[in-house]
Amino acid sequence: MRRVALHFGLLLTCAVILLPILWVVRTSFLPEPLSYSPELMPAATLDNYVALFTSTRYGQSYLNSLIVALGSVVVALPFAAMTGYAFARFKTGGRTGRFAVLATQMLPPVAIVLPAFALLRTVGLTNSLTGLIIVYAAVNLPFLIWILMGFFDGIPVDLEWAAQTDGATAWGAFWRIVLPVSLPGIAAAGVLGFILTWNEFLFALVLSGPQTATVPVALASLQTSNGVQIAKVSAGVVLAVLPLVIASRFIQRFIVQGLTFGSVK
Amino acid sequence: MSSIELDHVSKLYANGAYGVRDVDLSIGEGEFVIFLGPSGCGKSTTLRMIAGLEGISSGDLRIGGRSVNNVPPRDRNIAVVFQSYALYPHMSVRDNMGFGLKMRGVGKAVIDEKIREAAGLLGLTPYLDRKPAALSGGQRQRVALGRAIVRDPVAFLLDEPLSNLDAQLRAEMRLELVKLHRRLGRTIVHVTHDQVEAMTMGDRICIMREGSMIQVGKPLEVYADPVDTFVARFLATPPMNLIPARLEGRGDGLAVVGDDLDVPVPDMHRTAYAPVAGREVIFGLRPEDLHEAPQPGFARIDVTVVAMEALGVENILVGQIGGEGGKPVEIAARLSRHFTAPVGASVPLYLDARPMHLFDPETTRAFPRPALRIVRS
Repeated sequence: MRRVALHFGLLLTCAVILLPILWVVRTSFLPEPLSYSPELMPAATLDNYVALFTSTRYGQSYLNSLIVALGSVVVALPFAAMTGYAFARFKTGGRTGRFAVLATQMLPPVAIVLPAFALLRTVGLTNSLTGLIIVYAAVNLPFLIWILMGFFDGIPVDLEWAAQTDGATAWGAFWRIVLPVSLPGIAAAGVLGFILTWNEFLFALVLSGPQTATVPVALASLQTSNGVQIAKVSAGVVLAVLPLVIASRFIQRFIVQGLTFGSVK
Repeated sequence: MSSIELDHVSKLYANGAYGVRDVDLSIGEGEFVIFLGPSGCGKSTTLRMIAGLEGISSGDLRIGGRSVNNVPPRDRNIAVVFQSYALYPHMSVRDNMGFGLKMRGVGKAVIDEKIREAAGLLGLTPYLDRKPAALSGGQRQRVALGRAIVRDPVAFLLDEPLSNLDAQLRAEMRLELVKLHRRLGRTIVHVTHDQVEAMTMGDRICIMREGSMIQVGKPLEVYADPVDTFVARFLATPPMNLIPARLEGRGDGLAVVGDDLDVPVPDMHRTAYAPVAGREVIFGLRPEDLHEAPQPGFARIDVTVVAMEALGVENILVGQIGGEGGKPVEIAARLSRHFTAPVGASVPLYLDARPMHLFDPETTRAFPRPALRIVRS
């Protein structure tokens, strides 16, 4: 009886979470005039998807999002890895240093976005993917540092000591032992950074232009004078969610996989 | 040259606490030395200082006569086997073993040859292409040893390498390590808190407590003549019996007197202990010096049985005697496997007082007496 109640509760929770997503998927396949229909599936068409790529800049925005999300992760990860390692292993900066880094995450984005715009304008990087990559790398860096610090904390120092007595320098031990061992953690941090950037709206709205808009901005721009084109927006959302679904599969595998299994004990 | 000298070496932490305090020790070339002590006594820190993994706050550390205080670990040519084994999880057994040689720029052919040799020696040949995760605890331990051996270092530092193994495997590996030492002839410093390892493996034991090295000597010498009550109790299981008592003059001789205790001091110790006569002492006697059968010269005590532990080869009797001021003192006796007694019963035991010790209750140090090799009648 308890199991039945438990499963019913779980099903209910799943339904609450999944129903809006399933409804969006359903709407994305409906012709625009039927998109608010109460019927489950009154018709089916791919027109919305085709229209997204033919009559809007969604394809360009999709590519922009991919470039910006991947680029910002590639730029931020090496810095995050080295800083996280220094915090974890050498206690660089002590607790104050750690929390100072974290404190930057506590500022509301709206407080940073205008100074960021002013900075980018000074160096001529507004309305450019490079500018977005730099800003996202900087904004995500504290978060990535904290995630990686946790992973590095979990790597036994014995491994580095063993490498050093085996003839490696401190850098050699980091490069040849710590980095490969913490690859799952670094990958997980990378995927999280990708997701954060992919979903971000405010910075993209302020710092990008029509050529450099990302997916969230492109979706917002589907609001026209005739109202929101909900079927097209739904199609855009379905496509926007796809990379996140793939990323979440990866992150699950990386996090579940043991970090240093077999190295000690 | 693989001698290791610690010349008044200390490790002082930023908070003012000493990890290691004024350790002065000379380890000869090819010697097998054991650092023994409870957790947190500084034995692993000392080992790491020798390896170069911990800085030295004061003193001088020399390896092969050369001061290495500021020499990084990679340039000391010392191999460390860690308690956790610290195998590189992303590398195969072969790559784990070859890593040190690769770091030193040794050619692939030589590395392969050395790995093959060490793997053969340690029975690891079938596992060379496996990752550490696919090995048992004992196999991982062997890989850690193999990684040390292939490098042909001047000395091996072993940090409790057997503590994660089960009892049977531990006994086997104990023997393997001793054989390996004989075969390689290299200096070995072995850290442990296991008294059996300490007694059976090393040429010398160095007993540490609270960062200091309190006694260094051959295992049987330290066992027979501990410098204080800590060493007396730490070096064996069951530990030495320590009974509060008083040393009194009796005619020409001396006697240790306490509640339920009256033991004449053997003639051989009379001169040494005469200056202590009239003082409170702690009377120390190992459990194997209590017997169930009387013999000439043995003193009798009556013991109330608290527990009997049958170990198969012998029986351990845990009992109580009155102790001074009526406070009961628990003592242990190693008796024959044929001896049994019900819990609560009072049984007579007979003391062979020749290996006895007297300790100062205030300082816990042993009152000096001539060194003694245990004499068995």
